[in-house]
Amino acid sequence: MKITLKIKRFNPEVDKKPHWESYTVEVEPTDRVLDALHEVKWTQDGTLALRRSCAHGICGSDAMRINGRNMLACKALIKDVAKDGVITVEPILGLPVVKDLIVDMEPFFAHYRAIMPYLVNNDPPPERERLQSPEDRARYDDTTKCILCACCTTSCPSFWARGEYVGPAAIVQAHRFIFDSRDQAGEERLRILSEPDGVWRCRTVFNCTEACPRGIQVTKAIGEVKEALRTGVIR
Amino acid sequence: MLRPLIVSFREGVAYRAKGNLLWLLHRISGLGIVVFLGFHIFGMSMAAFNPALHERALELYKTPPFAIGELLLAFLLIFHAVNGTRIAILELRPQLWEKQELATRLSLIITALLTAPTLAIMAYKSISHFLAH
Repeated sequence: MKITLKIKRFNPEVDKKPHWESYTVEVEPTDRVLDALHEVKWTQDGTLALRRSCAHGICGSDAMRINGRNMLACKALIKDVAKDGVITVEPILGLPVVKDLIVDMEPFFAHYRAIMPYLVNNDPPPERERLQSPEDRARYDDTTKCILCACCTTSCPSFWARGEYVGPAAIVQAHRFIFDSRDQAGEERLRILSEPDGVWRCRTVFNCTEACPRGIQVTKAIGEVKEALRTGVIR
Repeated sequence: MLRPLIVSFREGVAYRAKGNLLWLLHRISGLGIVVFLGFHIFGMSMAAFNPALHERALELYKTPPFAIGELLLAFLLIFHAVNGTRIAILELRPQLWEKQELATRLSLIITALLTAPTLAIMAYKSISHFLAH
């Protein structure tokens, strides 16, 4: 089938503002949007800039706005997103565009680093691994799935309005450690998230849950962190 | 100061998601209520500081455009209150997140159920007033 890809292009060396360019490509309905973008880049216009790595929904590099919604290009099938043979592709919102579909992810990763995304345990290391019951492991299982693609954070109205907001992805990462029974820095993370640009900027819009390509219950995780802050109990 | 407001509205319109539409409407209704309250407080204070202006404002409130505005205001108030309650409940009980689509539908139904008779009564009173004068 033939489809038209409408891509928002921006080259900071030439353009004053972004503009749309259309490309017609031959694809299978079961192809992915990433395949169509490759077709454009490899056979029609080599100047198109996009970021991708594993191309199989694991690395989270190719997050972009497809038909106005955040998705991974490698997980979005043509048959699911093509409307009357047209697909629009734009960079994700809220982060500076470097070129075409590539955004500067540094502000996003700075928020990620801010919440201490690593296990903190000051007890003497045991001879073998730090044991944990299956129930304790299940407590934070959902938030271990995050691949840091930024689909959630860049779909969040609070983040669009204020880039200093730590954002859903960083809160999900904090949740993964706050509720880990082996971790000892939960209170420190909660203190970080209780600051003005922390978890209270969430307006429970649910865009993040809708955008997450891994199906993480992002708004629920944020709600649980808020609950821990309200009650002072991590459970 | 206005930049975050402008940016969030601009991006909010550009982004296509179900939750986003409700968020936009919630923000617009909140803004509408704040603007109304500002006008209302200013208008009422004129009764003390400038009675003639206050009288003129009262006359203006009785004109058709303001009657239509009042209907719109009633809808915005009801929507904002009901949707705000939905958000507050989901905030306080994150375990209910799975019911959020149901909660959204319910809040829209409750808004419609409360808005319909309110607007009917208000419209009836306004039309009666205009026909009598």
